[in-house]
Amino acid sequence: MRYTLRDYLRLAEIGNRLRGTFELWNYREIVFPAIEEYSESIRKGTKFAHNNEFYVICPDATSRIIKDFNNGEARLYYISEVLDGEIRGVWEAGVELIGGREPDMYVEVLSVLITALESLGIEDFYIDVGSVKVWEEATRGIEPFREEVRRALLTRNFGIIESLPISAGRKRALWRLFNFRGKRSGVEKLDAIVELLGDERVFLDFGTVRPLPYYTDVIFEVYSPRLGKPLGGGGEYLVGNKKAIGFALDLGALLKLYKGRERKRHVLMGEPGEVYRRARELVKMGIPVEVRP
Amino acid sequence: MRFVLPKGRLLKPSIEFLGKAGVELDLPNGRELVSADGRVLLARAFDVPVYVEHGVEVGIAGSDVVLERGSDVFIPLELPFGKCRISVAVPGERKRYPEDMDGFRIATKYPRIARSYFDSIGVDVEVMKLHGSVELSVRTGIADAIVDIVETGQTLRENGLVEVAKVMDVSALLLVNRIAQKVLFDEINELVMKLRGVLDGGA
Repeated sequence: MRYTLRDYLRLAEIGNRLRGTFELWNYREIVFPAIEEYSESIRKGTKFAHNNEFYVICPDATSRIIKDFNNGEARLYYISEVLDGEIRGVWEAGVELIGGREPDMYVEVLSVLITALESLGIEDFYIDVGSVKVWEEATRGIEPFREEVRRALLTRNFGIIESLPISAGRKRALWRLFNFRGKRSGVEKLDAIVELLGDERVFLDFGTVRPLPYYTDVIFEVYSPRLGKPLGGGGEYLVGNKKAIGFALDLGALLKLYKGRERKRHVLMGEPGEVYRRARELVKMGIPVEVRP
Repeated sequence: MRFVLPKGRLLKPSIEFLGKAGVELDLPNGRELVSADGRVLLARAFDVPVYVEHGVEVGIAGSDVVLERGSDVFIPLELPFGKCRISVAVPGERKRYPEDMDGFRIATKYPRIARSYFDSIGVDVEVMKLHGSVELSVRTGIADAIVDIVETGQTLRENGLVEVAKVMDVSALLLVNRIAQKVLFDEINELVMKLRGVLDGGA
């Protein structure tokens, strides 16, 4: 989408508010160069050649972190434009928590997500939590048909599953999962996440799918009834052999819901020398000012 | 729940099929694009998937435009109308098969589908996007072959073209917005079940 200058100002405002929330949760910002050497492990980005070498512009941040992360644990966030083969891309704000205990890490990242949206004044959202492993388990014994089951989920076309040469009982079980949406599923790990979060906007929904290939189990999608597109989503993945979980928000989607909140400012007027001296004192104390010379 | 329907050949069978499932829709009057009750929107066939992707709850479009647009929508049902195919066609007097089209210029309304097809058979072609009357491109010599919709083959024959390969079968599809599926879960599931009932001959 082509943005106006005003849109870019508002995108920056949204980014700053999210930055504030991520910092409050003890996440550190990571910045990447716009251009990176091409690698098969890096997703998205717009490819180009220069001096007989291949490069990508603005690829997906999570895959860059996975590729270069060495060791240890980390709480990271980024705010950047991500291209996908085109010259215009999507502005994303994302969080990655690498290492930690279950289920705490899921609860933490979803808490960051909830407070990030609330910091923008967006309260009418839902988070649907799904699971890759639940479907792996449900398709155990019919592995050759996993791709068809995945395609059925991606398109939400149960007819694909019905046409498979599998038992009626198995189809009924898959149908139940296909339509499961609630607070308790009987899957201990997932039920614990919902219970510990204790937020009425969080549901388990096994019809939730995420297109990215690197998710290993828990996935989630966040959306608002006011917008026909997801606000973002995320999931669990591996960095080396370490568990990680992250999400990315689509700032363009948030822009459509964001009303803007003007911070109260201390207005200063008068003789410039005195006014700016006073303004410097207030800014040092973290008080927003507006100088009207 | 709003429905976006394609103007043109799919409109009548779409209304009839929905009607069989008990979904009665009032169409917009005259040249209006939105019905009086706001439930029905009429769009160009190529734009229906885009409207659904961006928020209109339900739509009907051909699988050709859904694939070409690459829209992120749910497709719970294939519908029993709008059946045709996308094919490669060439002038009858210069008949060549796709495998021998290296270096050809291909005119099409479907550049993504055409590119993907020739990539899949490892043939390097130049794809040229046109917005309609694609047959004209080979008659005037600005393209060597076309990739286009074929229903009966009559348009091809009348323009001296012959079909040399099928790229894909095409059918009308039911499209559902991803978020609407969550927010209107019961309503959408009920609609899909009713339509499936018609497909299965139950209505």
